[in-house]
Amino acid sequence: MDEIKEDITRYLQNKSFMDSNTQLNDDDSLTMKGIIDSIGLIEFIDFISEKYSIEIPEDLLTPDNFDSINGIVKLVQKLTK
Amino acid sequence: MSKLTCKKCILDSDIPGITINEESGLCQFCESYKPISPDEKKEYLEIIGKMLEENSGKGEYDVIFALSGGKDSSYGLYKLKKEYPFLNILAIQFDNAFISEAAVANAKKMCEIVGCDFFKLTMKEEALCDTFRKAAGSTNAYSKFARYRASDICNTCISIIKQKLIEQAIIHKAPFIVFAFTSGQAPNPIIDLKPSFIKWSRDLFEKQLQNIGVEDRDESFLLKNEIIKSIDKDATPVILHPMCLWDYNEEKIVEKLIDLGWMPPKINDSNSTNCLLNAFACQNHINKYDIHPYAFDIAGLVRSGDMTREEGLEKLHKELSEPLIEMAAKKLEMDLE
Repeated sequence: MDEIKEDITRYLQNKSFMDSNTQLNDDDSLTMKGIIDSIGLIEFIDFISEKYSIEIPEDLLTPDNFDSINGIVKLVQKLTK
Repeated sequence: MSKLTCKKCILDSDIPGITINEESGLCQFCESYKPISPDEKKEYLEIIGKMLEENSGKGEYDVIFALSGGKDSSYGLYKLKKEYPFLNILAIQFDNAFISEAAVANAKKMCEIVGCDFFKLTMKEEALCDTFRKAAGSTNAYSKFARYRASDICNTCISIIKQKLIEQAIIHKAPFIVFAFTSGQAPNPIIDLKPSFIKWSRDLFEKQLQNIGVEDRDESFLLKNEIIKSIDKDATPVILHPMCLWDYNEEKIVEKLIDLGWMPPKINDSNSTNCLLNAFACQNHINKYDIHPYAFDIAGLVRSGDMTREEGLEKLHKELSEPLIEMAAKKLEMDLE
């Protein structure tokens, strides 16, 4: 779990210009905090799919699963089982 | 510390958020950059060709094409029809109240040349100006990532275009939407839209509009919820960005277009050949964030080899047109320091 979280945080810091001092809690909304937007989300989803070799089904492509670090970690864990 | 410029692209350490690795001399984007190889491009083009063939004739149109009348989209339309002559295309030009007359004439001309339908999408000028004025006056309405991709005004305008083009694709049951984004603007060649994602991005844009103080109650700018409800889940539109797979050379593209009858616009703007608001939007963005909104786009073109580093640096440092800035400021009734 920590490894997935680290991967995601690193991606967001490098690709989404998230400042290293940004306070981001695991349940914070990435879109509402201005970390990522719809176009960034497309690239982010691509990154997750490629990084963990998973295909994300349509019904899982929701804010619940993709709008927070916790949601993404859970989704990746579920799909890589 | 003195300014460091990436050895590969044009991004430098004075741009907020850009880090240059002192050892490699590369920015964080060039360090992790994985170009699409010629083989991968070929594969993508084969997939796109197959998708277009298999889905042609299924809807009222095969493709909804975003045509600004500028050089990239004009060439993109020509090349698309040349590569796939069987396509039935509806080219849509969004009149954002700042498109030049030349851009309208060029868009119509290109549609005549390739033999496709043309539709000019218009909205109330007052509402558009009010929205752009609010976008110009806002900070932090969009994500930091978006700030590097385009100005707040351009992000607002392009979001409206995307919302309305997806809407048109759903209405006309067109299986594809094609944008002529270059590799610097859109590195993903195929985006398979899903209904849940369409709804999510619509709601995100609604919140972004609210952030800048715009309540789009009649869904003039937003994809209408009623239209989203009518989506056929097995036939949601796919967005294609073929320009990031085709060879791109700005000079050659303009040469080809002029041969075809496209008229070079008399706009003194190094970054736009169609929009009279662009220079103002760039200056506004630089004033607010100290970021040139085309830096990331140009860096992408240089990184992918579609533009030389020298050309990129020249383009980035070219002065913005004062008369264009003043003209747009006057129309928006704004002062720009």
